[in-house]
Amino acid sequence: MALTPTAGRVPVWAFVRLKLRITGNGLRGRPARIVMFVLGLVAACFFAILGHAVFALPGLLDRPEAGEILFPFGGAVLILGWVFLPLLFFGVDNTLDPAQFALLPLRRRTLITGMGAAALAGLPALATFAATLGMVTSAAQIGGFGAALAGFTGVVLGLLFCVVLSRAVISAFATALRSRRARDLATIMLAVVAASIGPLELTLLGVLNRADWESVEVIAQVTGWTPFGAPYTMGLDVAAGRAWAVPLKVLIVVIAVGGLLWWWSRTVEQAMVGAAGGPGRGRAGTSDGRGPVEQLLFRWSPRSRFGALTAREIRYWWRETRRRAALVTLGMAGVFLPLSTAFAGGAGSATGLAFVVGAIAPIALANQFGYEGSAYATNLATGVPGRLEVHSRAAAHALFTVPLLLLVAVVTAVLERRPADIAPQLGTLLATYGAGLALVMPISVRAAYALPDTTAPFSLSSGGGFSKTLPGVAALFGALIAGVPVLVLTLWWPWLGLPVGLVYGVGAYLLGAHLAGAMLDRRMPELLAAVTPR
Amino acid sequence: MSLRGLVKHFDTRLAVSGVSLEVPAGSFFGLLGPNGAGKTTTLSMAVGLLRPDQGEAVLLGYDVWRAPAEAKALVGVLPDGVRMFDRLSGAELLAYHGLLRGMPADVVDQRARDLLDVLELGSGNRTLVVDYSAGMKKKIGLACALLHAPRLLVLDEPFEAVDPVSAALIRDILHRYVSGGGTVVFSSHVLEVVERLCSHVAIMSDGVLRMCGTLTEVRGERSLQDVFVQVVGGRVATGSELAWL
Repeated sequence: MALTPTAGRVPVWAFVRLKLRITGNGLRGRPARIVMFVLGLVAACFFAILGHAVFALPGLLDRPEAGEILFPFGGAVLILGWVFLPLLFFGVDNTLDPAQFALLPLRRRTLITGMGAAALAGLPALATFAATLGMVTSAAQIGGFGAALAGFTGVVLGLLFCVVLSRAVISAFATALRSRRARDLATIMLAVVAASIGPLELTLLGVLNRADWESVEVIAQVTGWTPFGAPYTMGLDVAAGRAWAVPLKVLIVVIAVGGLLWWWSRTVEQAMVGAAGGPGRGRAGTSDGRGPVEQLLFRWSPRSRFGALTAREIRYWWRETRRRAALVTLGMAGVFLPLSTAFAGGAGSATGLAFVVGAIAPIALANQFGYEGSAYATNLATGVPGRLEVHSRAAAHALFTVPLLLLVAVVTAVLERRPADIAPQLGTLLATYGAGLALVMPISVRAAYALPDTTAPFSLSSGGGFSKTLPGVAALFGALIAGVPVLVLTLWWPWLGLPVGLVYGVGAYLLGAHLAGAMLDRRMPELLAAVTPR
Repeated sequence: MSLRGLVKHFDTRLAVSGVSLEVPAGSFFGLLGPNGAGKTTTLSMAVGLLRPDQGEAVLLGYDVWRAPAEAKALVGVLPDGVRMFDRLSGAELLAYHGLLRGMPADVVDQRARDLLDVLELGSGNRTLVVDYSAGMKKKIGLACALLHAPRLLVLDEPFEAVDPVSAALIRDILHRYVSGGGTVVFSSHVLEVVERLCSHVAIMSDGVLRMCGTLTEVRGERSLQDVFVQVVGGRVATGSELAWL
């Protein structure tokens, strides 16, 4: 006899337990992941203690007016961090993916409370809670028990707001990004946003330097009445004798959380269906009458293996989103680094810093085989020699980078109003770039690692990404050091800069490429295994 | 193709333990086995994608690991579970393969157009391979393996996710290829396909070659299905357990 199961009550802690179990299983038998987990734990503790101390300071020093500014702004920054940091850097915590629950008979309400509770049971939430408790300490010092109680209510509400807001935004993103094209676009947009944080910061600092404190206080007060600041100002309100504000602010936050929950429950349903959605449509319909070889190669490419390899690489730098994001970031850094230093410092500092761009540029190649993953099997099965592989990849990268380096040289020289500096500046850039390539090429063969096999824009690192990027960072510093002799040379004999830099860079590159090519010839299958996602 | 004593460990697990296999030239060879039997691992080692811990693989007289260039030039490979350079369009991907094989540009053009037309992928179609359906991806992969007219084809799961019409087309292409003197080695767990196509069959499970020979030798009087289940083991019928269903 067939029994129809009823939609039974699933306790909330079942979700929490599931999440903890999945996290635990992910760590089992993987020492590298355990190390990364412990590092994350240490970082979270550090953040919690630091945040707690900062937020407790106004109370310990008995300076409520400092708290009036610090709490709303600090709280707002925390909340914005909850929205943007996962999108930009950390990748979204998808331990519990709503799509996995699509087939289970769960009510939406159960699902939302369960996922919310699971999100609370994580390092970020605990660290945020511990950090914001500092505000309670402050409120207790200034206003006694009543203020502390109000502050605690606010902090709990604030944490809820953080979690629900970030979940809702991520869920909305996930549904908006179902087609590959939309996801590709989002990756590029995020790269632009991430790359523009530095310049934005400088601008903001400049504005802050000029702003007077009265207007800052007004903004702080206004922020205190938005959901972003309201949870964190309740304690101080009681301490300052404005206890009437607390119920109003609680209401503001509760309404905001409620609205977000409603939004989230709407999008989560679409996200559940999303997994079964069809693939996005590409450029179907547009037809190309040219022959296949013409379509692949550029007009000036040689009709050979080298031509095919470089043409494919060039197209990949543009079509593969992670690579394009890397290019965009490099372009932003290349233009803004000299610009901002020229504005900030006096003459000479821009020249000094610009050559950093030459060292940053090759970093994009540090895991060049990881970008295409197991597709490298094609080159392996057709027996592409290592030297050819390395040269073609470097050539494609240089095609994008060398014009950028020229641009950097021109921009810095113009900013410094010394057009004669263009040539030596370019020389230094080429020297660091060549040295960087020389270091990065062997690294890309020896220390390749697999990137997740998805086109999802938010999963750039498959957990523990940091330790894998260390060799690339080492190469950055190596290239900087290697570029110093040429830099010093240009200080004494500027006219020697370009020829010496060119020869130095090309020479270093050839040496590195020779090494990397020979290494690749010995390690091709191992490299394929290293970049194949498991 | 001749494999001698191939062994491969992954961490502590023994994926393939000493597989030796002789594939006669001109045969249509089916490598059968349940999921996780080591078929993909064996074929990867045979074509030089995965370095074996022990043993050797000889393709048309060339050792894959000692004379890789010569061996790889004569073989066409369709790997399974491996990405292609999927940010290229189908035509671009074929051109890439052809040029990597060192073929002249005009030959590449002409053959690529032929293959795209026959496999109904469209030579002017600019859709990127990443946006292809699973069946189309298999077809473009097969086209890449055929482009340089190799004498040996090694295909890993060529019929998986392929619709019946395309599967019939692929069968026809492979038949013609074998009758023209080529050798095909392919892995599958679809017994009907193997029974219909192959002249030779081998059955693997748990990293070991259980049976090997011509189809009639292996099958005997029974159906291939019965032989397979008997060799591999495992239950195919329920007792009294699922009475509530």
